[in-house]
Amino acid sequence: MLESITAVLPPPLRSALTRLPAQTAALVEEVRIREGRPLEIYLAEDSSFVTPTGVLTSSAEAAYRPTRDDCRILLDLLTEHSVYTREEELKKGYLAMAGGHRVGLAGRAVVEQGKVKLLRDIAGFNLRIAREWKGAAEAILPYLLEEGGAGVHSTLLLSPPQQGKTTVIRDLARLLSSGGGPAGVSRRLAPLKVAVVDERSEIAACVRGVPTFDVGPRTDVLDGCPKAEGMMMMIRSLSPHVLIADEIGRPEDAEAVLEAAHAGIRVVLTAHAGSLEDAKRRPVLRRLLEDGAFARTLLLRRTRGAPTAAAIYGRDGRRLDPAGAASPAGMSGAAGGGGARC
Amino acid sequence: MLKLIGAALLLFAGTMAGFAQSLALARRPRQIRELIQALQRLETEIAYGMTPLAEALASAGRPLSEPVARIFRGAADRLLGPGQLTAEACWQQAVEESWAGTALREAEREVLRQLAYSLGVSDREDQRQHLKLAVAQLQAEETEAAEQNRRFGSMWKSLGVLAGALLVVLMY
Repeated sequence: MLESITAVLPPPLRSALTRLPAQTAALVEEVRIREGRPLEIYLAEDSSFVTPTGVLTSSAEAAYRPTRDDCRILLDLLTEHSVYTREEELKKGYLAMAGGHRVGLAGRAVVEQGKVKLLRDIAGFNLRIAREWKGAAEAILPYLLEEGGAGVHSTLLLSPPQQGKTTVIRDLARLLSSGGGPAGVSRRLAPLKVAVVDERSEIAACVRGVPTFDVGPRTDVLDGCPKAEGMMMMIRSLSPHVLIADEIGRPEDAEAVLEAAHAGIRVVLTAHAGSLEDAKRRPVLRRLLEDGAFARTLLLRRTRGAPTAAAIYGRDGRRLDPAGAASPAGMSGAAGGGGARC
Repeated sequence: MLKLIGAALLLFAGTMAGFAQSLALARRPRQIRELIQALQRLETEIAYGMTPLAEALASAGRPLSEPVARIFRGAADRLLGPGQLTAEACWQQAVEESWAGTALREAEREVLRQLAYSLGVSDREDQRQHLKLAVAQLQAEETEAAEQNRRFGSMWKSLGVLAGALLVVLMY
């Protein structure tokens, strides 16, 4: 997976990263490039620095330090020599790469009338490597199914960053749109029409409008579209059963979610939050949770690399799983029982 | 007899050298004008069309005549190539490669060299500023080149003929 990003790296960084041992390279989740500071990679949650010859080290002195030129070349290659075509993304602080990878950016913000107009002098890059993981959502799916398997509950997935939200939601799109249900799920799920609003091209990693990740046979993807507007467009024109979007949080998102709920469309959304209480402190999420827009709220946690449900809440915020029970088998019964009223 | 042929050849060579000089003088302002037109087209492509650089360069250079067109085509081909070169390197290489065939001088080369550092690396507004600046500098060069052509163009022609005649006279 690392090969797909080394193509855009300037020569010194490319030579360091291509010399990583194959097992390490397969596990890299983030490559962090900061001008004048040590080159760092994240393997799951462990950070290591990388020397110019591709050896992992904990010593910042031995690590390769990307130069100003490295950063300049990296930005040039990331934007296909055309920074001006990516102004919208730069404003939001990231660049989408082919293959669903995303590059988070840090630099000097140019502010106009109190709003960020652009990032200049970009000196920090976080290359997040997208991995398709079929089956990542299989353990979670049973909690989201309605009684009788007719459909899926409107669901909010909560987790801090880097816990696998996007991986899970991508796999959910695939499972819901394929129908039938994964192995081990007794209730059969009817195939659903799924609409994905993929604002940052992370869920489906579309190239010219066609998903490169498997998001299922009955899935429509609106690529690169702002979420709120995209949700409204899809509700009006694509008659979806389920609407999927990543990282909601802006006030206009709430309007669109409520609109969908009133139109009888199920939504499966993610948001950044460490717990249900955290989520309730965010105005947009609080409004949605208080309005009962979500029949299920799941708290995702990564355990041994796999995203699992750490807690499941019903529409009223009551916890549905026996606290602390982490095994999917144990919880699926609880979810079935607790879900009777939803 | 042999001397007569030699004299005719000398006169012919002198005349041709003069014409070549005068032609180069006439080609320079024309090529600068073409550069200006291409950069203005590039500005439109970048600022209003948001066209990626490789495509923008190719389409800006398409209506031009050789050898100026080669600079733009060369840069566009390099950008699309597998070389992992920066826009700056692509543009510099294309300029170097095509330079010998043009009638352009060091001043124009400096303008293009400066432009390389900003090509594609900033937002639209900034790109426009840099392209406008390059165009303004080239316009100044063009005025100067046209003036030189007016003043020295015919002079070189006569100078060539006269130099040839002088050599013939000296020979006899």
